[in-house]
Amino acid sequence: MRTTSFKSRAFALVSTTALLATLVVAAPAHAAATGPTCDGATPVQTCTGTTSDGALYKMMVPATFNGTVTIWSHGFGTNTNIPAGLLPIFPLGYPIDPRPEIAPAGSAELIKYLTDKGVAVMGSGFSTQAWNLDEAVKTNTELVGIFKTKFTTTKKVIAWGYSMGGGITQAFAEQHPELLAAAGVMNPVDSWASQSKYLVDMLWLMKTWFDPSIKLTGYAAGVAGDYQMISDLGKYLLILQFLSTPANIASGAWPATSSASGKALQAKGIPARSALLMIGRLSGISTQSSTFDGIAGPATSALTAWPLAYAPAYGTLENISGVLGYALLGARDMQSKMGGISFDNQKTDYSKQLSDEDRTVYNAGMSGNAAIVGMLSTLNPLNPDAPRIKGDDAAIAKSASTMYQNTGKIKVPTVMMIGENDPVEPAGIVQRISDLYEVDFAAAKAAALKASQKSARYTAPVRKLQVLWATTPKTWSKFTAEGNPISITGTPGTGHTNFSTAHYKTLIDTMLSAADNGALPWGGAQLSKVNKAKNLKIDRDSAYPWMKFYS
Amino acid sequence: MIRTTRRKVLVASAVMAATALSLSVMPAQALSPRSEVGVTSTSIKLGITLPLDGSAKYGYNQLPGAMKAYFAYVNANGGVNGRKISLVVKDDGYLPKKAIANTQDFIKTNTFAVMGALGTANNKAVASAVNLGKRGIPSLFVNTGFSGFNDRKAYPTTSTLLPSYIMEAKMMGKYVKETYPGKKVCILYQDDDFGDDALVGFDSKHGDLSFTSQVAYPSLSQGVPGVPDSWVAKFKAAGCEVQIIFGVATATLYTVQAAAKIGYAPKWILGSVGADIPSIDPRTVPYIIGATSLSFMPSVVDPKDEYVAQFKEINTKYNPGAKFNSWALIGMNTAFVAVQAIQAAGKNLTRESLLAAIDNSGAKFASAGLTPLNYSKTSNVGYNGYWFGTFNSTGDLVPNSTFTYTVYTTDSGTGDVVKSTYVRPKMPEKGLPN
Repeated sequence: MRTTSFKSRAFALVSTTALLATLVVAAPAHAAATGPTCDGATPVQTCTGTTSDGALYKMMVPATFNGTVTIWSHGFGTNTNIPAGLLPIFPLGYPIDPRPEIAPAGSAELIKYLTDKGVAVMGSGFSTQAWNLDEAVKTNTELVGIFKTKFTTTKKVIAWGYSMGGGITQAFAEQHPELLAAAGVMNPVDSWASQSKYLVDMLWLMKTWFDPSIKLTGYAAGVAGDYQMISDLGKYLLILQFLSTPANIASGAWPATSSASGKALQAKGIPARSALLMIGRLSGISTQSSTFDGIAGPATSALTAWPLAYAPAYGTLENISGVLGYALLGARDMQSKMGGISFDNQKTDYSKQLSDEDRTVYNAGMSGNAAIVGMLSTLNPLNPDAPRIKGDDAAIAKSASTMYQNTGKIKVPTVMMIGENDPVEPAGIVQRISDLYEVDFAAAKAAALKASQKSARYTAPVRKLQVLWATTPKTWSKFTAEGNPISITGTPGTGHTNFSTAHYKTLIDTMLSAADNGALPWGGAQLSKVNKAKNLKIDRDSAYPWMKFYS
Repeated sequence: MIRTTRRKVLVASAVMAATALSLSVMPAQALSPRSEVGVTSTSIKLGITLPLDGSAKYGYNQLPGAMKAYFAYVNANGGVNGRKISLVVKDDGYLPKKAIANTQDFIKTNTFAVMGALGTANNKAVASAVNLGKRGIPSLFVNTGFSGFNDRKAYPTTSTLLPSYIMEAKMMGKYVKETYPGKKVCILYQDDDFGDDALVGFDSKHGDLSFTSQVAYPSLSQGVPGVPDSWVAKFKAAGCEVQIIFGVATATLYTVQAAAKIGYAPKWILGSVGADIPSIDPRTVPYIIGATSLSFMPSVVDPKDEYVAQFKEINTKYNPGAKFNSWALIGMNTAFVAVQAIQAAGKNLTRESLLAAIDNSGAKFASAGLTPLNYSKTSNVGYNGYWFGTFNSTGDLVPNSTFTYTVYTTDSGTGDVVKSTYVRPKMPEKGLPN
């Protein structure tokens, strides 16, 4: 963990997030398949080429190739090319980058870790960016075929990926279990219906209370739309900058751009930090972030009040900062891809999205029941000051009919890994898959027992899912002598795709073991390995809340 | 015959293999069917999370010492079925996230059961995030009167001890109507689950008490300078004659101080949660002398109560230097009930047998409480009644000069508030359950 001044951290976070998000981008479409062209180097040769849909790919094959290859799927890439100098927070812009990726962030250490074991590694840059599950699964399927044709001693394929790539990997494993010996799914995206609700709810709620001039939907096509979206991004950032100012958090001040509803709430004495916390609770954003644990308080009279009333709002803000880039780029991209708005909240009852637990646990942070009722009342669909998003029927129908929805079914031995406070892909995504799997596994056990009564042979079902939860330290927030929070980055269990090398290696070893043995490792050695990785746990009884879409 | 035997062996082996696989991520201790997490042949490990520091610590921070004192007394007398009880105490500062972390620590460190966890928000957060119910981990005698915890489906391994806030409000309504007919009654309440429960208890279907003026305060706002003054000004302007405070102790403290500043002197009726302001500052005793409050335990200064006498004696020996006050009495009584539950679970103590013991035998447990415990297979409700008294010059709640209690009882539903006919079981010899 690293500590710095908290000033301007919201901006820094968004900038970092967006930079990471846009390193990959749409490749030229419909090029003929080429390659693989290999350099013949030893001890590891590198092969490159292009799939039939134009995705650039790369393979690294050790001379000691043992027949196992991993296929990596990278994270979300934007289809919007943001030019340099347009926004102060993006001084270098976001150049389109079609380069293939074969391991997490191209990690040379992890690539070597695999090739040293005789495992080949490969991956592509995909032909389509942003929400690309369907296209990516086709690319991966083709790439596996290309590899097997080139390297005929291939025996086992392991798919892995994170974020969007985690969702791609899960979809790949669901659709093509015959190709895979194991899968490693890290902080995967949920289905678009669920994910868009999470992201757009957050964006819509911020717009509704803090700046109704934000467009959010109905962007123009092409570059004009890019500029509209970028303008929106600037407005969201101004909101976060205003709200992250300690003086404004303390006073409860609302941004000057707030809507009439927002100003009415302000007039009732409801602080903006409570509204921010409410936005987080309605969307499902974690209140614990890299800087804020909701546990530690300053060594002042606010020892108890700070973590109860302020930290959840600050944590929400920091997490919104971490997801904002993905949210807006993703929402805009889907509108382009579907030819209209594929999200509709006209019938959403936001009051039902505030869980009973949240109403209690964050009651003080949201300034009590009367304030909660007051805030929710402004989200009434009849409030003309809070206009709902009307989706385009055709776009919604297209979205439903053309985009793959993860079933969550586990068909090949799968190890999942996710941070318990990931702001982009909440832990509830994996929790749902885990819960559904436990139901399936219980049914499989019951069926096996029933079958054993007839055959007199009991064949135990093999547990195919192991979840590695990346967890936080017990407490981590720090304060100055004056009682101001000190910014911390990289806290385990927070942030997006914030895994240590030890975490990745644990996941790799688990995948390889599953591929070799046909079953995931569960013994003491595996538990010991997980413990040694630190801030990692296996817990089948975990209870992270599912995404709001499913409530 | 041989074939049958072989088939059995095959099935048994396969089942064992499958079981071993499914248990392989559990602590080694759990692999033995005759052992339970946190229980050995000589020990039982319990845990409690509650505020020992921060603004909510007052009073509650005295509970663990009293509980440990009683367990130490039992241990010194042979323990329960030969097992000594240990209680691991963790400070959560009244913060849900910390309560979650503490409870996860208890699980990691093989704690048999948690007990006495404090606070509605904390218990809700823990139940949801740590999933005690699904794990089958008992959460005994939670320190909150929120009626929601009586939902056995939602909280299958939780038991309550305190009467619910709904019960308390219903009884308060009856008391106020009978004692102060025609007076202007006003209320200050906390604007969360705690206050919600109270409002239900006072509504027309329950306690049926209406208010001339009412103020809902968001939790923590009581500490903002000037805010309690605004409440009191409103009450005074409304001409309130009877003032109910259904809030935490700091809300009571700042309200009575603000009232003193402007000469607002109603008849104070203080809810059980927030009455004990002398725990925050002993100098505040004069503020509550003559104020009415209610309790389900005997008065801690009752000279003829055998439970008080016995617990006081234990406190002197095993909790040296700690004052024997109402908190010590509650803490010791909680441990006393817990020991009976563990004892009733039998020699083969498991989490399951402990929960079953409370269901099956809990209603018969001896306790210092002046109303019965209401545990059964369909109820996890502890006490269900209160007596009313006033604070004396030492800041202790007493029923009257003769320590004669009129105890009322009711439920969290629409049942009437009636005088209790409960006859409390005698204290077991030497305070040691058989």
